[in-house]
Amino acid sequence: MPTVRLRDASEYPEPIQKLFEVAKAWFKYDFAQPPAMSRVMAWDPELGAFHGRAMKRAMAPGEFSRAEKEMVAAVVSGVNACAY
Amino acid sequence: MGVTNALNVVADSPLDSLEPASPDAEAQAVFAEIRAFYERTDVPVAFRRVAGDPGYLADLWGAVRRAFADSTLTRRHKEALAFAVSVTTRSSFGTAFHLGEMRRLGVGERGVLEVLGVTQMFSSYTKIADTLQLEPDMDHIAAGDPSPAPGGAAPRPAARLPEAP
Repeated sequence: MPTVRLRDASEYPEPIQKLFEVAKAWFKYDFAQPPAMSRVMAWDPELGAFHGRAMKRAMAPGEFSRAEKEMVAAVVSGVNACAY
Repeated sequence: MGVTNALNVVADSPLDSLEPASPDAEAQAVFAEIRAFYERTDVPVAFRRVAGDPGYLADLWGAVRRAFADSTLTRRHKEALAFAVSVTTRSSFGTAFHLGEMRRLGVGERGVLEVLGVTQMFSSYTKIADTLQLEPDMDHIAAGDPSPAPGGAAPRPAARLPEAP
């Protein structure tokens, strides 16, 4: 069980809710609620915005495709034994 | 991931004394295959340290070659994955070795930084997720994989429950 209360998307201010819509487009999936990580990172927009942009920049297709990068993310998560 | 860690754990440990001064002919034959595979004149330390048991060396090398050869995933991509694993596990040997292999296989500086960026970002996300004990909420996005084991039969359709009269 999470150690913090995950806020419902409706509890966030409107600019953040717009970012949640951007996240839906990024994942190409219509979440009932934004992913827990998105809601956690949105708690502090000054941190979350930079962190989120860095992630999107890192994951964007370049020399490696998005799919290849998702595999890199998967092995890093596996090595760190992170089920999330 | 497993094979990469198998090499790194031996290479990063203080095991210099295990390297045979004069590997026997069987080990030398495996060394020749390793040099050819990596297009280099020396043999990576992870292999040299187990050369005292040539049979074990041959089997280890067979597994490594199988894991890293071009297949559904390219060798270039596999080296990138091994680099990410090595950075994440703080392996000095693995980080340098797989960085060198990525470059040898044509990955440019931008590509290296892309892999490093993903590794860094997800090292961050995983720690945040673990600290806050977040529960997986995106695993349903991906479709299930119905493919059988290589060479095996397709899975049987799920048995239908008898209908109520």
